[in-house]
Amino acid sequence: MKSGKNIYKAGKLLKISLEYDNVIRQIKITGDFFLYPEEGIEQLQLQLIGAELTKEKLTDRINQILKIEKLEPFGFNSEQLAEAILGACKE
Amino acid sequence: MNNIRLLKTGAHSAAWNMALDEAMMQIAAESNEWIPSLRFYSWTPSAVSIGYFQSLNEEVDLDACKKHGVDIVRRLTGGGAVFHDSELTYSFITKEYPNGIHDSYHLICGAITDGLKTIGIDSQFIPINDLLVNGKKFSGNAQTRKKGVLLQHGTILLKVDVDKMFELLKVPNEKLKGKLISDVKQRVTALDKSFEEVESALEKGFAQRFNANVERSELSDEELKKCNELISKYSSMEWVGRI
Repeated sequence: MKSGKNIYKAGKLLKISLEYDNVIRQIKITGDFFLYPEEGIEQLQLQLIGAELTKEKLTDRINQILKIEKLEPFGFNSEQLAEAILGACKE
Repeated sequence: MNNIRLLKTGAHSAAWNMALDEAMMQIAAESNEWIPSLRFYSWTPSAVSIGYFQSLNEEVDLDACKKHGVDIVRRLTGGGAVFHDSELTYSFITKEYPNGIHDSYHLICGAITDGLKTIGIDSQFIPINDLLVNGKKFSGNAQTRKKGVLLQHGTILLKVDVDKMFELLKVPNEKLKGKLISDVKQRVTALDKSFEEVESALEKGFAQRFNANVERSELSDEELKKCNELISKYSSMEWVGRI
């Protein structure tokens, strides 16, 4: 298993800390962004475990989680979060 | 004509200030007769607040805060780390607000720009959550919504000490710290007005923007009691050092 970190500038900063192999094994998303309701960050992180690390699949998965959990990001969008996560795999 | 309740709670600890914001939100959620409440306050001792999603250790130099006697607290709201020193802080807690997050920022920040205009300051709301004067940021704002209640709080810099701010806050890359400090000095400014001048201007701005009668009020016993109950949460490492 590999690990990586990334700081990504969307509208706000996304700081990603990632453990992964061919899929996400563990993820922590921190930063100065907004997400409503805030507690939803736990579900977002949890449901990203097992996600495949391609831009398209990640974006789809994030969109799906936001929709199901009724989460509204402010200061980033799904595509930017996917890019932030992929950036943590490049180290 | 609408009504807005105006509270001037003075200077308190970081934990007290953030506990009161949550206490008022909780009471508003349970109340059928909540009057939108505008609070002006400051911080003693000076404090660093971090956003709901920020990592304490990544954002704050704990030793430097200890050395300077600066409080540390985690907010209920997202957004970035703030050094609360010479500033006016406001909270606005309402159950009547536009659905869209951008729209509600625009409305409340509009009350601030309206107010500042009355003391000759031409400021602009720049999304996501900043207020600028002459292209420089002097105010950051953050919002949360829970159980049909919106809380927006924000800071209005009256004086700014960027060097001290960077002693207390960590930067992602120490090597670039010098450049970052000079960038921030270029991008950030303070209003150079007194607390009372800004307070009175904002009162007018909220009255104007919300077409409201702004009436001075005091905290209720219930608000104070709930605030006191929540202080331990905002003082605890369990909350402050949560991530």
